[in-house]
Amino acid sequence: MSIPRVLNRKNRILLSELTKTDFKLRYQGSVLGYLWALLRPLMMFAILYLVFSKLLKIGNDIPHYPVYLLCGTTMWSFFTECTMQGIQSIIIRGDLLRKISFPKYIVVVSSTLTAVINLLINLVVVVVFALINGVTPSWHWLLVLPFVFELYLLSLGIAFLLGSINVKFRDITSIWEVIVQALFYAVPVIYPITMVANTSTLAAKVILLNPIAQAIQDIRYNLITTETVTTWNFVQNQLIAIIPILLVAALLIIGAFTFRKKSKFFAEEV
Amino acid sequence: MRREIGTRTEIQTNSDIAISVKGLHKSFNLPTEQAFGIKQAIFNRLRGVKGYKEQKVLKGLDFDIKKGEFVGIVGRNGSGKSTLLKILAGVYYPQKGDIVINGNLIPFIELGVGFNPELTGRENVYMNGALLGFSNKEMDAMYDDIWEFAELKPFQDQKLKNYSSGMQVRLAFSIAIRARGDILLLDEVLAVGDAAFQQKCNEYFQSLHDKGQTVILVTHSMENVRRFCNRAILLEDGKIVLDGEPDKVASAYNKMLGIVEKTK
Repeated sequence: MSIPRVLNRKNRILLSELTKTDFKLRYQGSVLGYLWALLRPLMMFAILYLVFSKLLKIGNDIPHYPVYLLCGTTMWSFFTECTMQGIQSIIIRGDLLRKISFPKYIVVVSSTLTAVINLLINLVVVVVFALINGVTPSWHWLLVLPFVFELYLLSLGIAFLLGSINVKFRDITSIWEVIVQALFYAVPVIYPITMVANTSTLAAKVILLNPIAQAIQDIRYNLITTETVTTWNFVQNQLIAIIPILLVAALLIIGAFTFRKKSKFFAEEV
Repeated sequence: MRREIGTRTEIQTNSDIAISVKGLHKSFNLPTEQAFGIKQAIFNRLRGVKGYKEQKVLKGLDFDIKKGEFVGIVGRNGSGKSTLLKILAGVYYPQKGDIVINGNLIPFIELGVGFNPELTGRENVYMNGALLGFSNKEMDAMYDDIWEFAELKPFQDQKLKNYSSGMQVRLAFSIAIRARGDILLLDEVLAVGDAAFQQKCNEYFQSLHDKGQTVILVTHSMENVRRFCNRAILLEDGKIVLDGEPDKVASAYNKMLGIVEKTK
């Protein structure tokens, strides 16, 4: 696959049309339609907020905790949606793959772009919430974008890798659902990382080496409060602190290569 | 599991060969028992069972298609016609052999690829157009003509699931014929719609024939082979058994199937 072919006109048209269709189909037949893109994460946030902040009284020492929590759940939803959609996309679009020839990665990218659109809508909500909650706007907010991009690249790497294996071994979808459940508790979304740090500094450090945790903490740091514990300010050794970035890069490269090797046979196997 | 891979290259030159196929082989690994899932894969590996059976579909094809030729590919069910077409289209990978496609190739393996029953006719037209490489702007320009040709204008904002199957095919066909390419690959798409629509389709194929479009047509209709093609290839069990005059190939095909031809 040569570079010019990757983004030629035909592929661009296809990518945008597939993304549009995916987005339209997501909320087909529902009364509230696109509103669900907003309502779903807000409702998830409401539940988590009630349970963890009000009932279990977690996170009262963190300024703007509701926004802090909302920001975390939004990013987490983005990660799960992106990977789940991406992993299944090749099978869902199997009909296309069997009948026309086009670069297969378009299918994966278009399905993850739907998650990106959802995220952008939800980020607006987070920002509005932050303003209502009294967070002062600053140019630091722009620094959120590179970390969102990092999270996207991570999701894409996972989607490429597991998606191409999933064509033959459909168990991957189920396995990934379980992993996502486990990861949810391994990432400081609903609990503040300080809670872990109080019991074991080492455990907190290990948790922060997870790229998802690192990205979410950095986004909170730039968007909500500089009191946020990030990988960079918590793990002193800088060589160790860049491990999350290296993990993202490694997953993306392995994912892309696996996908490239396997995608030739998708049409026959899907 | 290692697989050999042939090549398929697309070029743009002035040479008068549109498609060149050399030593094309293709086989599929068909799962013998339930070879899906990780558990079964591990069991199969431990027992030394392959878990699949190799099915040879194409066994060494060689042919060149010149620009302007209207080639019919005929043969029994399972003789490898559709596999050949899909390899030419770039959907399947050639297992062995070299394919060179000279020019812009538009495949129609099936009509209405990407049609979604939950979307409206309008949305499906744009989606299907995108698969043929048309931008929204280009689709805007030909939008009315498409519905005019399909004779379905009143239904354009209905969901596709409310269309009859005949209507869906007519819509798909109307979009498909807008595609402009140097080489067209067509798989069994001649027989669509009622007699009146059939007439329109035949006119379209006649126009392709008349303007010297390079076409590869997979079909079971010997009438169409005789009418439109200026060359035909008969496939049997993954090999070419006859390549030449449409009339001779059609007769050979009928003979092979034991069909007695009516005297003209």
